[in-house]
Amino acid sequence: MELSGSGTAEPGTSTSLVMVSGINKRFGGVRALRDVNLEVRAGEVHALLGENGAGKSTLIKILSGVHALDSGTIEIAGKPVEFDSPAKSREAGIAVVYQDLSLVESLSVADNLLLGREPRARFGFVRQRALMARAEAFLNELGIPLDTRATVGSLPFAYRQMTEIAKALMGEVRLLILDEPTSSLTSDEVRILFDAIGKATRRGVGVIYVTHRLNEVFEISQRVTVLRDGANAGTFVTAETDMKRLVNAIVGTDRSVSTSPRVEPAAKRQLDPSPVLSLSNVSNDRLRAVDLSVLKGEIHGLAGLIGSGRTEILETVFGLRPLESGAIEIEGRRWLPKGPADAIEQGIALVPEDRHVQGLVLDHSIERNVTLPRIPHFSRWGWMQQRAAARRAETAIARLSVKAPGAFSLVRTLSGGNQQKVVFGKWNDPRPRVLLLDEPTVGVDVGAREEIYAVIRNAVRDGSGVLVVSSDLVELIELCDRISVIVNGRVARTLARGEIDDAEELHHLLQMYQASGPGQLQELPA
Amino acid sequence: MTELTAPNVVASSTRSDRRRKILQNLLRGERPYMLYIAFVILLVVFSLSSPWFLSVDNFLNIGRQTTLVSIIAVGMTFIIIARQIDLSVASTLALSGMAAALAMSQINNSWIVGAVAGLGTGALVGLLNGILTTQLSIPSFLVTLGSLSMARGLAMMVTNTKPVIITNETYFAIFGEGTFLGIPVPIAWTLAAMIIGILLLHYNVFGRRIYAVGGNPTAALYSGINTKRITTAAFVLTGTLAGLAALVLSARSHAARPDVVQGMELDVIAAVILGGCSLFGGRGYILGTLFGSLIIGTLNNGLVLLGVSSPMQLVIKGAIIVAAVAFTKR
Repeated sequence: MELSGSGTAEPGTSTSLVMVSGINKRFGGVRALRDVNLEVRAGEVHALLGENGAGKSTLIKILSGVHALDSGTIEIAGKPVEFDSPAKSREAGIAVVYQDLSLVESLSVADNLLLGREPRARFGFVRQRALMARAEAFLNELGIPLDTRATVGSLPFAYRQMTEIAKALMGEVRLLILDEPTSSLTSDEVRILFDAIGKATRRGVGVIYVTHRLNEVFEISQRVTVLRDGANAGTFVTAETDMKRLVNAIVGTDRSVSTSPRVEPAAKRQLDPSPVLSLSNVSNDRLRAVDLSVLKGEIHGLAGLIGSGRTEILETVFGLRPLESGAIEIEGRRWLPKGPADAIEQGIALVPEDRHVQGLVLDHSIERNVTLPRIPHFSRWGWMQQRAAARRAETAIARLSVKAPGAFSLVRTLSGGNQQKVVFGKWNDPRPRVLLLDEPTVGVDVGAREEIYAVIRNAVRDGSGVLVVSSDLVELIELCDRISVIVNGRVARTLARGEIDDAEELHHLLQMYQASGPGQLQELPA
Repeated sequence: MTELTAPNVVASSTRSDRRRKILQNLLRGERPYMLYIAFVILLVVFSLSSPWFLSVDNFLNIGRQTTLVSIIAVGMTFIIIARQIDLSVASTLALSGMAAALAMSQINNSWIVGAVAGLGTGALVGLLNGILTTQLSIPSFLVTLGSLSMARGLAMMVTNTKPVIITNETYFAIFGEGTFLGIPVPIAWTLAAMIIGILLLHYNVFGRRIYAVGGNPTAALYSGINTKRITTAAFVLTGTLAGLAALVLSARSHAARPDVVQGMELDVIAAVILGGCSLFGGRGYILGTLFGSLIIGTLNNGLVLLGVSSPMQLVIKGAIIVAAVAFTKR
């Protein structure tokens, strides 16, 4: 059963190491965290679950001193603490291992472990032998099998991660935070990682383990806290709960269905059965024999965990990733993508995953950004038609209801949702034949999310085919006519609307496929 | 399609928006007015402290002295906006000058041959810089550090470090000593380069792409822009302008010398940065570069008029450049 708040799960067993109570955090108009509580005990692995945008990262960033909290308290071993910098958090004994590692690849494991606190001789010379000995002693004590002399850059990923964890554990560490540590590990490597975690907890370190993979939660954690929409959605004793309950808490049974007019299911809309995009047997370094089709007027979803190859499918179609074998057809005509320019010429549009890095030039105006993919269309003999470009921007602003002072406002000054609308604005005219969307509503507030859904629906109503990647399963269920489940670079299964009812079921399905590999699973879990 | 709810309001607000933007492009880019204030302060200080400073002749003098830096700085503006750097421009100038002079002495003493050889050599060095930078993914700092050395070495090798005399009177008139509409031709060429730069950067498709490539190369790539080709084009433009500067210099001195303008790339880069370009790319404007170059020229000129010793000139110039960048930085 769901336990409200924390601390009541296993009363009286061990003392709490970290106690987070009533934390609130606001980013502009978005309430990222609302009265969040979390308690971690010494020697415990405490899993932290939630969908993207549920507030996990914000909570971690508050614990690690990256963000300041608006209200609420953090106590470590009963003493209230306040962090205004990562250094302060580190001083209090909190260490974070992020997904992107913070190691110097050209240095050895030992050098990395003792970076900044090398044993020194006079005049600042490093006592190399003492350094090696200290690193080795520390790793032995932890029981982590690492060669201290190896260059970090030459190590397989799991070992780099272990180096990172070992580094985090140097010094007085009481709480170790692991942010999706297994997303790019093989199953053997996961085993090694779990061993290392076990060794840390035996020393009395508390661990917050953030993951999307539920099977790992059951394997390694003692308790689980779920966040949903920035608030606590329950804390559970792992041994007393099951996957279904966790999924319920993650997805939420009460999330209201969209209020905007929704497109009738594909069957009723009488989709043109001819595919506007089809992939057959498409393979490259990340994809293995992908078969997929997007019909005219269809919204086709790609579900899968991070690293499953979802994004790579979009990148391959957009010409960003070479096609090694297989065929792509656009409206029945065979086509080999030569690059983004070629894809755009074919009427393919991409709203990429990271709008700051891939989608926008933040220091430029809305007008500059929306005209970017089709600059030649706003010019005559190579000279810009400033008026035409400005008109294009004004139309995009009006049609997508971008809230901005004008066409020449800098994109950096807009909110996340409005920035995302500008990315959509790059592609809304002319109507793309194929619209590729990668996490279209990440970091977007609820209102803007509905508006973006409306934009997507308008696009298919006008005859575009949409291929959308999303980690938000409710979003996929809500939007899509069909959903393909991607596991390890393959399409494990394609589901039509009606074959699956809700996000919970889809979540189960993803977890099962991930755990068992594609093709082996026959029936849906109850 | 959703219509604009209040078309008149939107249109008029964007019209003034647009006017403001054009003004921004031409006058101050995205920086405050510090650059112009700095220039005016400089003029006032020198006018008060030297009786010879404030005269038409002296200003023409400053114009002539800054010609080479100004012409090349136009190209460097494109390069720096595109997040690149070109250290080879002074050597390219030297090599282009030698090429122009030698071509004339070999082929009919024709000024057209000289001009084509000079500009072509500059363009070729730029093309090589661009191709090496984009195709081999070598940072342009390193590529052009290499070509700085190679171009200078080649310029010295062709004549075994001897200068090449030029005798074509038309060449002198067109590039060095004549006047165009009453303006000395070196200044006229500078203005021409500036105008071409303004048109290309602020009104042409090429400029749009340069800004995008420098502002966010990944987003530019994802928008279908051939970032390599655009970057290479910026290097070719700069090389060609270094060639033009070589024509001006050799026509003025009636000879091409392989050891000219060593270290001038630093003045060019300083002018561009003073003028408001961001070293992080995506930001900058030609008129700012002109003023940056004028500030450097005025400094050189004014310090000489004040009788400051030349080692001291270097110290003051360097300090003022750093201070100016610190003040204009936002």
